[in-house]
Amino acid sequence: MGIYMSILEQGLIYGILALGVYITYKILDFPDLTVDGSFPLGAALTATMITKGVNPYLTLPASFLIGVLAGICTGLIHVKFKVRDLLSGIIMMTALWTINLRLAGTANVPIFGNDSIFDNDFINGLIPESLSSWNVLIVILVITVIMKILLDLYLKTKSGFLLRAVGDNDVLVTSLAKDQGNVKILGLAIANGLVSLAGCIFCQEERVFEISSGTGAIVIGLASVIIGTSLFKNLTFMKATTAVLIGSILYKACVAAALKFFEPQDMKLITAVLFLVILIIGMERRKKVKKNA
Amino acid sequence: MKKKVLAVILGAAMIMSLAACGSGNTGSDSGDGTYTIGISQFAEHGSLDNCREGFIQGLAEEGFVEGENLTIEVENAAADQGTTKQISDSFVSDGVDLICAIATPSAQAAYNSAMDTDIPVVYTAVTDPVEAQLADEDGTPVGNVTGTSDELPIKAQLEMIREILPDAENIGIMYTTSEVNSVSALATYKELAGDYGFNIVDVGVTQTADISLATDDLLDQVDCLTNLTDNTVVNSLATILDKANAKNIPVFGSEIEQVRIGCLAAEGLDYIELGKQTGRMAAQILKGEAEASEMNYETITEPGFYVNTAVAENLGVTVSDDLLETAVESFDSISS
Amino acid sequence: MLELKGIDKYYNPGTVNEMCLFDNFNLTVKDGEFVSVVGSNGSGKTSMLNIVCGSIPVEKGQILIDGKDITGMKEYKRNRKIGRVYQNPAMGTCPSMTILENMSLADNKGGFYGLGRGVNRARKDHYRELLSQLGLGLENKMDVLVGSLSGGQRQALALLMSTMTPVDFLILDEHTAALDPKTAENIMELTDKIVKEKNLTTIMVTHNLRYAVEYGNRLLMMHQGQIVLDLAGAEKDAVQVDDILKQFNEISIECGN
Repeated sequence: MGIYMSILEQGLIYGILALGVYITYKILDFPDLTVDGSFPLGAALTATMITKGVNPYLTLPASFLIGVLAGICTGLIHVKFKVRDLLSGIIMMTALWTINLRLAGTANVPIFGNDSIFDNDFINGLIPESLSSWNVLIVILVITVIMKILLDLYLKTKSGFLLRAVGDNDVLVTSLAKDQGNVKILGLAIANGLVSLAGCIFCQEERVFEISSGTGAIVIGLASVIIGTSLFKNLTFMKATTAVLIGSILYKACVAAALKFFEPQDMKLITAVLFLVILIIGMERRKKVKKNA
Repeated sequence: MKKKVLAVILGAAMIMSLAACGSGNTGSDSGDGTYTIGISQFAEHGSLDNCREGFIQGLAEEGFVEGENLTIEVENAAADQGTTKQISDSFVSDGVDLICAIATPSAQAAYNSAMDTDIPVVYTAVTDPVEAQLADEDGTPVGNVTGTSDELPIKAQLEMIREILPDAENIGIMYTTSEVNSVSALATYKELAGDYGFNIVDVGVTQTADISLATDDLLDQVDCLTNLTDNTVVNSLATILDKANAKNIPVFGSEIEQVRIGCLAAEGLDYIELGKQTGRMAAQILKGEAEASEMNYETITEPGFYVNTAVAENLGVTVSDDLLETAVESFDSISS
Repeated sequence: MLELKGIDKYYNPGTVNEMCLFDNFNLTVKDGEFVSVVGSNGSGKTSMLNIVCGSIPVEKGQILIDGKDITGMKEYKRNRKIGRVYQNPAMGTCPSMTILENMSLADNKGGFYGLGRGVNRARKDHYRELLSQLGLGLENKMDVLVGSLSGGQRQALALLMSTMTPVDFLILDEHTAALDPKTAENIMELTDKIVKEKNLTTIMVTHNLRYAVEYGNRLLMMHQGQIVLDLAGAEKDAVQVDDILKQFNEISIECGN
């Protein structure tokens, strides 16, 4: 049971990250490497706030906001200074390494003894004793579902329409008298807000901030998005955001399975192969609209 | 169409493999005198591998022999933090009798997973259990968790350097800014250096690519270098030795392997010994002689002195016979 | 009224490949004019449209709308008053959104794109009515993704979307060129209907000389960055496709093609 619970917990946490990656990769068509830095950014802020004794629930909005800031920076680098998308992310990711280290103080900040969103008087009173081993999963599930619904609702607003349009056909956004650059920045901000929020929850689940926790986060996010959207492409009744969350859980399950059957040295290669296979399955060359100037 | 089929097969394969890994181990029955131990190792690494080997040997010395009355499950997280948690969670759900966690992130994850159960956690290769919140300031455990620290015997190292290089003033130390263990060891060095008349010159790096430049910078300011157990730096030891040898500056190591490949000498750890010590602690817990929650964490009882006479000869440094006699192991060649 | 005054435009300025397209180019389009522009490839037709819309900068000169200088105004800001349809039907619509969503998006042009509901239910009947005028049956496919429509259907939708909100100018950039003859004919008729209904000031670039002659009330022929023929009023009404074709061949021969 425990291993399944662990897979679900981690799958749902990384699911929030995957929702962010879904925005940049699928909607904006922007390969955003900021993720490797904004995930531990949320974790660093959370560890710092929690060791200072701040109410753990405040770490959620705070992490989201600091991620939004990181996303805005990447967006400004890309839009205002006309740096290529991939490079903008790399620059921001590199800068965030130092920022995370400075924010947290050291590379490893344990928060075992402190309250967390999973373990405090409020939640212990709310969830009956008999279900206490489910605390973590319940809290994660609630947060993830709320974030998914909020994102679904947002994508149906006017602003959300514009965001979907900019990745699809940025010429149309200009035609609608809107600055496409600002729309891209908005998208990156929301995406990195979600990623940073995932980092915040991850830090509290692990009860430790670790600087290296962001390494490879983008790969996990991309894999989740691609697994989800490829496997459930033909199920039209399923929302893409749902598919992405399931993709994230499946990815974590794959990691757990791979760990059982393969040597740890081979993990990265297995991940890469799995990634490639899924990518080939899900290959749908997006018809990029060319500007015929 | 083909792709769709492939997707379905792949999906099915994922679920099957998952089902398989869930049904693998159903825990142990302590009643019949056999035990199951889960070893959660953070990464593939020489020192950590030695810890694991030593741990198994230590258990065997106390009568817990793998394959006879002991089942050992070894999992390696390939240096991924999320995976360490999955590993320790699966040990907890399998209901193992004890979790052995090797290196700080694994120890933290194991403690976190086992917190609400009565499964004891024994860790090793955690440099600073207090900083990692696994033990209180006085060394008592924060929960059902204890183990051994691979804290460097810095006092002994400084004494040894003073003896070999009576005139040295400045010791250079290179460390990675994101490695907590290095940062805390450096602080101890700085605290103690004055007692032996040394001055510490440190330079921080963030990645392997910085090492070459940092070494050049450091070598201009110091009489010798000494290593921590910093992963990034130790992995680039060959580069550092090359440059130091060119300037005839001795490099002191922090464990036996480093001396073997060309460091002058070390008052260092033998991770096999550390592992054995940890294994003996685990055995005590399994036998019911002690509770993990009541055992203070331990450091290696006696550091070993290692020396490489070939290096000494090349550098023109004399190591007194008295000192040579105390060496646990002395190398007369440089292996690379 | 739209005025281009003394426009200079170079491509690759400062390099060995520098090429002068416009040298002191002037054009005035009065309100309510429907201008058809013809000319060989490279004559500067599309560049002229891009200069009007602000898609490309100019080296010298002024662009005025109703006497107001908009030369330095950003493209997206100018678009508030300009509707544009491109040659590629994909440029005017969003393929991964439904017809209804696309129309709602276009209907909000000039408004605030905030957190209000993206689809305006109250306007759905209005959209359905607009679509039914196209006679393509799109009014029954409002929840279909635009990406699955044919080129002609998408272009019709793009035309509709670009004129949904009040605009001063309609810019048509070879908007029938990528369509089959039958569909092109339909789109052209639809264009004429919309322009007349809304009394839009229109500039249409086309390679189809017959459209240029049949539609609109002014005809321009461009060659090497200059206007070589400018017919309006009775002259325009009298001109025949053969006359234009003759003129077109003459400049082409001069050029040596």
